[in-house]
Amino acid sequence: MEFGFTTAAYVVAAILFIFSLGGLSGQESAKRAVWYGIVGMAIAVLATLIGPGQVFWPLTIMLIILGAIIGYQLATRVQMTQMPELVAIMHSLVGLAAVFVGFNADIMINQMEALFASNDLVLGAEGAYASLPSEVKEPLSSFGTLIAKKLAVEVTILKVELVLGIWIGAVTFTGSVIAYGKLAGKVDTSAKQLPGGHALNAGAAGLSLLFTIMYLAGSGSWTLVLLTLLALFIGYHLIMGIGGADMPVVVSMLNSYSGWAAAAIGFSLGNDLLIVVGALVGSSGAILSYIMCKAMNRSFVSVILGGWGGAAAGEQQAVEGEQVAIDADGVAAALNDASSVIIVPGYGMAVAQAQQAVSELTNKMRAKGKEVRFAIHPVAGRLPGHMNVLLAEAKVPYDIVLEMDEINEDFPETDVVIVIGSNDIVNPAAQDDPNSPIAGMPVLEVWKAKQVFVSKRGQGTGYSGIENPLFFKENTRMFYGDAKDSVSKLLPLVE
Amino acid sequence: MTTTSGDDRLKIGTPKEVLDGENRVAMTPDSALQLQKLGYECGIEAGAGHAAGFSDKDYKDAGVSVHKTAAALWKASDIVAKVRVPTDADVKRLRDGQTLISFFNPAENEKGLETAAKKGATVVAMEMVPRISRAQKMDALSSMANIAGYRAVIEAGNNFGRFFTGQVTAAGKVPPAKVLVVGAGVAGLAAIGTSTSLGAITYAFDVRPEVAEQIESMGAEFVFLDFEEKQTDGALTGGYASPSSPEFQAKQLEKFREMAPDIDIVITTALIPGRPAPKLWTKDMVEMMKPGSVVIDLAAERGGNCDLTVMDEKIVSDNGVTIVGYTDFPSRMAAQSSTLYATNIRHMMTDLTPEKDGTPVHDMEDDVIRGSTVTHAGEVTYPPPPPKVNAIAQQAKKPEPPKELTPEEKREAETAAFKKQTINQVTLLGIGGFLLLAVGLVAPASFMQHFIVFVLSVFVGFQVIWNVSHSLHTPLMAVTNAISSIIILGAVIQIGSSSVIITILAALAVFMAAINIFGGFLVTRRMLAMFQKS
Repeated sequence: MEFGFTTAAYVVAAILFIFSLGGLSGQESAKRAVWYGIVGMAIAVLATLIGPGQVFWPLTIMLIILGAIIGYQLATRVQMTQMPELVAIMHSLVGLAAVFVGFNADIMINQMEALFASNDLVLGAEGAYASLPSEVKEPLSSFGTLIAKKLAVEVTILKVELVLGIWIGAVTFTGSVIAYGKLAGKVDTSAKQLPGGHALNAGAAGLSLLFTIMYLAGSGSWTLVLLTLLALFIGYHLIMGIGGADMPVVVSMLNSYSGWAAAAIGFSLGNDLLIVVGALVGSSGAILSYIMCKAMNRSFVSVILGGWGGAAAGEQQAVEGEQVAIDADGVAAALNDASSVIIVPGYGMAVAQAQQAVSELTNKMRAKGKEVRFAIHPVAGRLPGHMNVLLAEAKVPYDIVLEMDEINEDFPETDVVIVIGSNDIVNPAAQDDPNSPIAGMPVLEVWKAKQVFVSKRGQGTGYSGIENPLFFKENTRMFYGDAKDSVSKLLPLVE
Repeated sequence: MTTTSGDDRLKIGTPKEVLDGENRVAMTPDSALQLQKLGYECGIEAGAGHAAGFSDKDYKDAGVSVHKTAAALWKASDIVAKVRVPTDADVKRLRDGQTLISFFNPAENEKGLETAAKKGATVVAMEMVPRISRAQKMDALSSMANIAGYRAVIEAGNNFGRFFTGQVTAAGKVPPAKVLVVGAGVAGLAAIGTSTSLGAITYAFDVRPEVAEQIESMGAEFVFLDFEEKQTDGALTGGYASPSSPEFQAKQLEKFREMAPDIDIVITTALIPGRPAPKLWTKDMVEMMKPGSVVIDLAAERGGNCDLTVMDEKIVSDNGVTIVGYTDFPSRMAAQSSTLYATNIRHMMTDLTPEKDGTPVHDMEDDVIRGSTVTHAGEVTYPPPPPKVNAIAQQAKKPEPPKELTPEEKREAETAAFKKQTINQVTLLGIGGFLLLAVGLVAPASFMQHFIVFVLSVFVGFQVIWNVSHSLHTPLMAVTNAISSIIILGAVIQIGSSSVIITILAALAVFMAAINIFGGFLVTRRMLAMFQKS
């Protein structure tokens, strides 16, 4: 097959990928869009396989099949509540793959240099490739040939690109692994850093730069190995320093990184499709991070630097009043009287696996002719859109699941709001208390409803450690207990 | 008369109502006592309270001076309180600095407004008292409507030949009367209350679904229309109904027609501010009713809710249905209505006299006073600006709607935003372009080719991703994850190398990327399949 064919296939694949992402603008078109992505990927892989210089067909195909089996197992077994973990661990795979491919490029460069040297030529010199004896040229793989043809300045650029690819890939790898650990509860979710904090990260980044320069100056592959180790450390340390509540930003940031890593590798391999897809994924992740940060009214930098920004400027307003508890009968009575209900789910619902019970409750109330809707804050849960997926899994129709901006104005006309396992996203201090750490963050104005019930495990302050005045408001009642148990208790009582 | 001499207290005077058949009076001996406590002196025209059951002696005993003629009273009074809209002659009597508190019908009384303003008099129109909680004590419309609603039922009973309540007696079984009240405003609710307490089976209808609860709390059954319509928020119209759509009206008439043969007594109270009364009880409905049935039309003054209503008259239709179109129900209960009205006036004076020193302070910043004042200081101040406080607090918690901009302001704002956007874009493009050119200066052409592809892809990515719906962010991450495994291509290219290490590393990369591709796409499909419409 000709090289032109491969390029054409890449163009087709790239367009399909763009369609695949664009199709996600609506629930229905999204179902079609996934197929575009799948077909695009198939075309890309096939075109590469039958492209020039491919000799290891059986091995490649076998590996792909093996990967497919594992991927299938992962995808079908995963609980929807575990989506964030799955996404995080998958990012780590892309990161690691990028590191391997980058190292391969370096090894290939070394081999080529040796090859040229053995023929008394220098890699990158003008006309050097042409003067290679053809018996040496013949057995070269396509990748080898690609490098062998390069000029000196191109080889340098190639090295810069592969350093970038390896570095970003390594950061993505350890970062994703830690993010996975935190999301799966295997690593302590609170923000932790080694002594030295960000100075350590900055130092590691500085050293990386130093090693990059040394590598480019020809100090050899050991610099690359050290650089990789440093990047792995940065990924680990950076994500360790970010608290659980910021995970939506972290996950989308890692998503972005995995894209940029792919793009960097694309540059070093001279493969346009890798560049295109890497850029698409990178910008997608960047936009998601931006949306998440905006939803928390925090700058990207402050999220990445970990913890809740600097200390608040002044004393936080003291919360007055007391939290009044209520039992299932009381909540059920209010629900029976209400004509409009809004449910605000948060990470607590995911943890308790309460979405099925919530969905049943919703069905029951809707059957009674009540208006039941869901209000989703952009950073509810641990992944962008996490709540939507959970509710969809529980068969809650997506047209009653609304975004913050769509529903925030409706709270004053709402009879009952049920807050299930969310805290900061319904905290009135964000609007009322300029000294609150979350001041200015857009929140769901649930307290404006006639009655608010908060389903919560206990009286604690949750992830962010910020006191929530909502719980002390006059129209708020605390419905303590595991979210799933609580909602299940309501089911027989709502008539 | 010596009452005014040597006394600089302001005088509140009430003339006898001149309109025929008007029995009410704006001041009672009781209210006069209260007014005096505010520091005012009180005067009344001889015989003004007679029809309402208050004799001149009662007034005198309460410390009220009695003036023989209307002219003398108008002359002696600084503040005139009366009930009915003043006649032209009355308005001409106003003088500079005098205050008139009365029903005034400012919407249709332009001439009166102008004359009063020209004379320099202040006119407080009782029907303009805004419907806010604080002003309820002076809301004369409500107190009159309350009486009208009560009286409507009594009037109906008077013309209805049977019991209201059902009875089983030795002389046989008596079915209960069935009463339909249309419009559940103050009058309607009062009618419902009276009717149910007399024992009739009462149905009530209103275009505002939110009053269903009130209707049911009064013991009537809400006539439910199976119709979805967005009624204007009651709070925005001051708690009054607004006109409904033709479809809604048709549905409503259909329902009434269905009910008409069973109903013994119909009391209609439907009014829309500033419009003729809607026709809700048509001729054919009257024809369907049983002989002896009664229709009381409280909207007669504005043309009536019933087709056959004759204002101020009681007629009997061909099939023996009595239709009452009286407009003077409150006047028919003059003692009660005078007491309530006089109290409303007294509360108004209390608000006008914050210091209780007999000096009215006309605070035009006050919602209630501003709203009800229709002429002041030589100017016509009608119509008032909308009150700062919404009428009905319960539903009135909506955040302030964004200020309506005039078209010019809007255009200006748009132009400014557009300009800013342009500047932003041009700056970004400039910097971007410059950087790109700078890279191009040093990088070889082969790199630039790829670089351009890269930059364009980033752009496409940004454009495409902004349109992704929020709820699909998780599937987006899963799918981008899957396609970022495109890195498999790099590994596939390298796997055929002669070097063992390269092959092993590449093989691992292929393997991991493959997991990712399949896992990512499958999980995305799984998620998307779950999104269902209701």
